[in-house]
Parts: sequence; structure tokens; C-alpha cells
Amino acid sequence: MTHSFRLSVNGGAYHVDASAGAFLLDVLRDDLGLQGTKEACAEGECGSCTVLVDGEPVDSCIYFVGQAEGHEITTVEGLGGSDLHPVQRAFAEHGAVQCGFCTPGFVLAAAALLTRVPDPSADEVREALAGNLCRCTGYDNIVAAVLSAAGGETT
Amino acid sequence: MTDNALGTIGMSVPRHDGPAKVTGRFEYGVDASRPGMLWARLARSTQAHARVVSIDTTAARAVPGVRAVITGADTVEYVGSRYIRDEPILAHERVRYHGEPIAAVAADTEEAAEAACRLIGVEYESLPAIGSVAEALAPDAPIIHPDWEGYWVSPMIRRPGGNVLSHASLRRGDSQAVFAAADHVFEDTYEVPMVHQASLEGRVAIAEVDDSGDVHVWSSHQYPFGLRQDISDILHIPLSKVRVTVTGVGGGFGGKLYAGVEPYCIVLAERTRRPVKLRFTREEELVATSPRMGATVTVRTAVSADGILLAREGWIDYDSGAYAESSPGVVSVGLMTLGGPYRWQALSIDARAIYTNKAGCGSYRGPGAPQAVFAGESQLDRIAVELGIDPLELRLRNAVRDGDLGPTGQILENVSLVETLEAAAARIGWDTAGTGDDSGKGLSCTWWTTTGMPSSAYIRVDEDGTYVLVTGATEIGTGAVTAGVAQICAAELGIDPADLKIVSADTATTPYDFGAQGSRTMVQAGNAAIAAASDLKDQMFAIAAEKLACQPDDLELRDGEIRHKDDPAVSLTVSDVARIGGTRGGLLGRGSYEQPPTEFDTDSVVGAMIGAFNIPSFATHACEVSVDRQTGQVSLDRYVVAQDVGHVINPTYCAGQVTGGTVQGIGQAMFEEIVYRDGRVVNPNFTDYKLPTLPDLPQIETVLVEVPSSSGPHGAKGVGEQAVIGPPAAIANAVRNATGVAVNRLPITAERVWSALRDGRTG
Repeated sequence: MTHSFRLSVNGGAYHVDASAGAFLLDVLRDDLGLQGTKEACAEGECGSCTVLVDGEPVDSCIYFVGQAEGHEITTVEGLGGSDLHPVQRAFAEHGAVQCGFCTPGFVLAAAALLTRVPDPSADEVREALAGNLCRCTGYDNIVAAVLSAAGGETT
Repeated sequence: MTDNALGTIGMSVPRHDGPAKVTGRFEYGVDASRPGMLWARLARSTQAHARVVSIDTTAARAVPGVRAVITGADTVEYVGSRYIRDEPILAHERVRYHGEPIAAVAADTEEAAEAACRLIGVEYESLPAIGSVAEALAPDAPIIHPDWEGYWVSPMIRRPGGNVLSHASLRRGDSQAVFAAADHVFEDTYEVPMVHQASLEGRVAIAEVDDSGDVHVWSSHQYPFGLRQDISDILHIPLSKVRVTVTGVGGGFGGKLYAGVEPYCIVLAERTRRPVKLRFTREEELVATSPRMGATVTVRTAVSADGILLAREGWIDYDSGAYAESSPGVVSVGLMTLGGPYRWQALSIDARAIYTNKAGCGSYRGPGAPQAVFAGESQLDRIAVELGIDPLELRLRNAVRDGDLGPTGQILENVSLVETLEAAAARIGWDTAGTGDDSGKGLSCTWWTTTGMPSSAYIRVDEDGTYVLVTGATEIGTGAVTAGVAQICAAELGIDPADLKIVSADTATTPYDFGAQGSRTMVQAGNAAIAAASDLKDQMFAIAAEKLACQPDDLELRDGEIRHKDDPAVSLTVSDVARIGGTRGGLLGRGSYEQPPTEFDTDSVVGAMIGAFNIPSFATHACEVSVDRQTGQVSLDRYVVAQDVGHVINPTYCAGQVTGGTVQGIGQAMFEEIVYRDGRVVNPNFTDYKLPTLPDLPQIETVLVEVPSSSGPHGAKGVGEQAVIGPPAAIANAVRNATGVAVNRLPITAERVWSALRDGRTG
């Protein structure tokens, strides 16, 4: 049994047919072709599937597509526009990217933080990214990149 | 354009694949697709050990959208495991672990394939399951592989038989005599559980078979040439009919070095004449994909009254799970690392890999070493405490130096252990006084190899003067290719690495490389790129000399031009030369590199696939913890790692390997364990298999020590794996320093610390 959903993703309007139990992650990846959003645990534990709903990070792997109706969804593809978002640029320049599989989720979680708190402390960055797993970097360069994007200290 | 001969060597230039990864455009294995592609899923054993009486696929075949169903009866001839061919791709007649693949389905959708898998009916006749190494070694233990004698086995392996699949041993010096005369003898036993690579992207591949039977596999893999060989061996397909193209790789850490998902895709693609994709779920990853072996390690050490280490005996029983996979090679790492980087009069170490009814174990960053080093380095601190010697001083007294011999008799060169000890001790502010509030500091030392074996490269120059590096090396995320090798190659060509194009990791288009394993890529593929650049320059200079009416030796490559050294006005652009070269078969520099094997005392080891550490490097870990005596909770307050990397090619990514490896090691030390209960994994998800996250960690204080190697590019040594080895012992030693008690089993959880405190356990 499929339903028709109206979604607003990265500023564009979409109609998708999906089951009521479909998760936003699968709709984004399989129906809209927005494959930048990643699945790594499928149970809301690792943050790889993070997207922004009205600017707030959510785990799209456990977020029903119906919940997204009436809200503005931002995926990693919608973050930068024609140029890289400062967080994206900082990640690329500060060694915050190794395999990169977790990167879209981290970038979105960090961008949401900087919208809310433009000049966070290192502790605020660590707290905001506590729900995202990275298996490669050991996190420190990610924290440094976010602080750099905010114009703060990078030590 | 760079203006010195070293180019960007030593500079933190950004990696090539950074922009695509931060924008989400980078294509990983999970993102790849092919027209007309089907999806595969596997049905898995629900028993840890059983005879398979019958398999009924009738209902599965009736599921709409199902295009093929195969079982072990269809794949009897397809048996994997690179060193002992003991692992059928689908279980046939017998299952040996809970989660073992028993059937494979291809369908129009992944959901249909999954639904079909659930409808496959299997009748089992249960057999007693072996849950531990001790059970496997019991005299009346069931034999997990009753037909073991009939298996093909790599000639390097000593295989005692029964449940013991390989046994490597090291004998140097007369350990019995040394022990008999020693002032002190210490003996302890340590336990290490299985842990998982947990790359965020699991195993995933697509296979397509064309009308002539040629196979093309797209896989998220670390070693395309090894995978091609595995596929050829397992499925009996000639090597030349198999092409492996590596997709983007979302982490590997050793978990993507062998055939995994690919054989199922290929067999199903052959049956359906459609491309087939298979990806594993997180649960499948944690239940059934080649984790790090668990181990029971008993270590006995003879020491003089003044703290000189004399001799060590050790017995390492690695839990290989139900299949050999990489275990026969990994056991030899136990021989190399149990003694640590210290001087010994005698060593006697036995390391065995033993079958149990668990997932077959594979390679994970620094395979074999964390288990042994947790034991060896933890015991050193017991020795230090009981002899009243500072743990730093004990290590300095016994540390290997230039010219000393390694455990198997290799002559050690460019040794940096003391430098790393001093750097780590200075950074942490070493003392063992504690602060009186249950805090303490701990140290551990490690050494590791830079794996050799061949790497090759081509460098092409296109008509517009753009250089294209064509390398068989694989970028799995470390930056070894897209930063390190690119910088090394660009320096030889006098260009900015950003202007170099890179084509990599495709068996049909790139030359051979031994793969992203063993901390080898930047060193070996870097040396190959240097050789290819030299060959290319010779070709370019020959053309330019002809056109400029001079000798090749008169010329130099600078700023995109080939110029006369004495008269820069006499020049051609690289583009000019490339256009001429293009009419003569093209300009293609070729180069390869293979490290000469490191010599060692071959009589000292038996059954060891690895007998020496090539271009060895050294590291010291130091940390500070505080322990809550009420709960046993350990807080990791500071963490310092000082690792010798030979020469830093890219400080950011070099430190990134050391920091990232350290955090994986902290995970093994404090959180991670694949928990088996009654033959099945009870924590196959990221909620219950706990990876380190930011709140668990202090900022890692990473110190790069540079003691150059004599054969790595610019003096570089391997970097990638070593940092994962040191954390368990460093943290255990800090807990001992803080509380006086020993935790001899990983992970060091609050419960284990609390129990050790309750029992007053000191050894």
C-alpha cells in the first residue's frame, strides 16, 4: 500500500509514492537519487544518515517519510549551493575526511550547530557531534574543522 | 607550481577526494548500480554447529520477483579461504557458526530477496558447539572440520590438525637455562575477545557476467588484485576473465582484503544473466564477517634483580572461529610482537589458531598484535611494580637500539623506540606518583612493520601537459594515495599535486599492487611512482634532446618546461613534448618497486608466514586515567601517542592515521567486544557493540617522531596500523597505577575494574 507524499528537499518540491512505513533515508536515496546521505547502522545509532529537518539534525534512517511532510529537508547535496559551505571547506582542508562515509552526517550536524551557535567552544562542538560515529579519524580533526569554520580556535 | 625539489613533501596539502566526499558526490560501493541490476540476500544458519539434513527452497522460489535461489548443493566446488581452503561459500551438509551463509537469492528488489530468504526451510541436526579455545582443545572435543586432512593448504603453514589449524613457533636462545638462573620469574594469562573492524560502509559489490563469461566486479575493497585471484581460485574462473574495479571505499581496516560478498554476486549473475548487487547489513557485518581473532595469552618472563629482561616464553591461542581465513598468517605476528621491542637473551613463543563455532576471523588493522601486546606490555608493568622500578625506566633499560636483533634475529636499523619513549614521557609529564584521587598514568610500547611486496605505477602525460598517475594502489580513506603518493609523485614531476590526475585500483587498467594492507601503500606505491616518474622523464628528455639538438643529460624539468640547464631559453613545454610523444605511441612512464625481503634467522621460526618486520617503526603510548572505586568506571583523561613515521609526507593525514588508529585501539581497550552467548552473537548492532564516540575521549595528543628509513620515499616508514596496538596495555597500566589492581581481560569495563578492586587482583 503506497501513499503519495509531498516533500520539500533542498528547496525543491517533490511528490513521491512510498509506503507509510518508508523511512526518509530510503526515499532520499532510492526515489530522489540523493545518495550523499548514507546508511551505516539503520537504527539511529551512528548519525551517518543525518539530514536537517527545518535546520535540526535527525537520523533519517528512523524518520518516517510522512514526518517530513510540511518541513524543509536539507541533505548534504543542498548544503553548499554553488560553492562549498564553510563547514564543507573546513572538513576538506583540516583532515576531517578520511574514508568520508560519515562526513555528510557530520557536516550537516556541524552546520546545524553553527546556525544555532555561531562561535561554539570545543566542548560545545564535541557535545553537538556526540551522536555521530567516525571510525577513521579519531574525531579530533573533525572538531578542529568545525571550530575553524566558526572562526574559532583550532587547537 | 612548487619552487623546490621536494615539492609539497612535508606539507599538509588537501587530499584529492576531499571535495567529493564533503559534498556527498563521492560514489561508494553502496551507491553504485548497473542497468537491470538484481539484488541479492543471503539466508544464514540459525545453528552454531549442525548437520544440514535438508533445505527446502520451494516457497522462496515462489516469491514474486525472485530470479534465482542457490544453496550449498549448487556450489559444492566453490570453497574459499586463502591459506587453507576450508570455507564453502554456502554451507553444505554442515554449518559451523550461527550466521553462516546457507543459501543466496537474487530478486528484483532487496525486499523480495529478503522475503525469500526467510522462507527457506532448513532442517538441522544439532551438533555440540564449541564456544571457546579451551573447549576446542579438550581431548573429547568434537572436530569442527572432520575432513581437514583433505583440504588444500598453503605450504608455509604448519597444521597440527584437529581443531588446531595452524601453529607457528619461535625459538631463540636457551630459554630453559635462562629461566633456571633468573632472579625473578613472572607468569600471567590474559584474555582478549573478538572485535570488529566496523567500517561504516559494510561489504558490498556488484557483479556482471557478459556473454563470453567474462566477469566484472565492482567492489568496495582494499586489494583488487587479491580479490581477482580469490575469485579465480574459488569459482575456477581463469584470472584473465575476471576484472575487479574498486568503488569508493567507506572504510576497510583489513575487513575488505579477501573475497566476501563477491562470489555470491558472480554465481547469481551467471544464473540470471543480470548484474547482481549484494550489501551486508550491520547485523550481518557483526555476526559473520571476519573479525579480529580473540586470544588467550599466557606469558612467562625471566628478569634479573636489576630489571634486565632476560627471557620470555609465551603461548598464544588465537580463536579463529569456524574458518581459517587469514589466521594462518596472523599467528606469526604473535611471535613477532609478544616479546615487544626489547632485548632478550632467549625467546620461546608458540602461537596457534584454533577452530571454534564462531564467525571465521580475518584481518583487522595490526592483525594479531593487540592481543599479544596487551599481554606483554601489561606484564611489564606488573614486573616494574613488583621490582620497584619505574615502568618508563624499565622500558628504557631494555629497549632495542640500532644494531640490536629483533625476535627472529633481524638486524634492527633506524630504531626509534627510545625517541618515542622520551617524547611520550615528556608530553604526558611522566610520573607514577598519581594524584591521590585514584588517578594514574600508564605506558605501552609497540613496534610494527611496513609490509613489502610489489607495487607498480604508470605515469602518462597527456597532450595538454597533464600528468596522469595510473596506480594499482587503492585509496581506502587513509590519504595514502590521494595525498601521500600524489605528493611524492608530484614532487618528482615538479608539479602541484592538485594538478596530478589519479587513476587507481582496477585490475583491467592499472598495474599490479599488493593492496592497501600492512601499512605499505604510501611507502611501496610511492616508490613505484618515483620509478615511473624517472622512466617518464627519460622518455620526455629523449624527445626534447632530439628537438633541441642537445643531450638528455643537458636537460632539466622545471615549471612545466624541459629546459637546457645552461640556457633556460632553450626549452620545450611538457605539452609540446607530449604531443610529439603522442605520435610515437604515447608517453608512458612505467615503474615498480619491491622491497628486498628483510633477512632474519630462518631457523628460529617454524610455520611462520611472517618472519621479520620490514622497515620497522616504533611507538609509545602514554595515558592518564581516573577510576571511580565505587563503580569501577574509568575516565580516560589524557592520551598521548608518539609514533615514529620515518619522514612526514603530509602532517595532517599522517597524524590522522595515528590519531584514528589510537581511537580504534581505545575502543578495543575499553568498549568493544563481540559477545557470544550459546553460540550466537548477542550484540550485533551499534547500540550494543559500542564504538568510541566524542564524549568517551579526550583530545588525542599525537606526536610524530621522525627517524628516517633508508628505503622509504623521502625516508618514510609505514604509518597506518601501528597506533591501534598500544592502547589496551597503556590503559590497563594506567588503571593499575591508579588503583593497584590488574585487569587482564579486555575490554576494561567498569564491571571488570570493580571486580578486580573487590578481589584485590594484582597479577
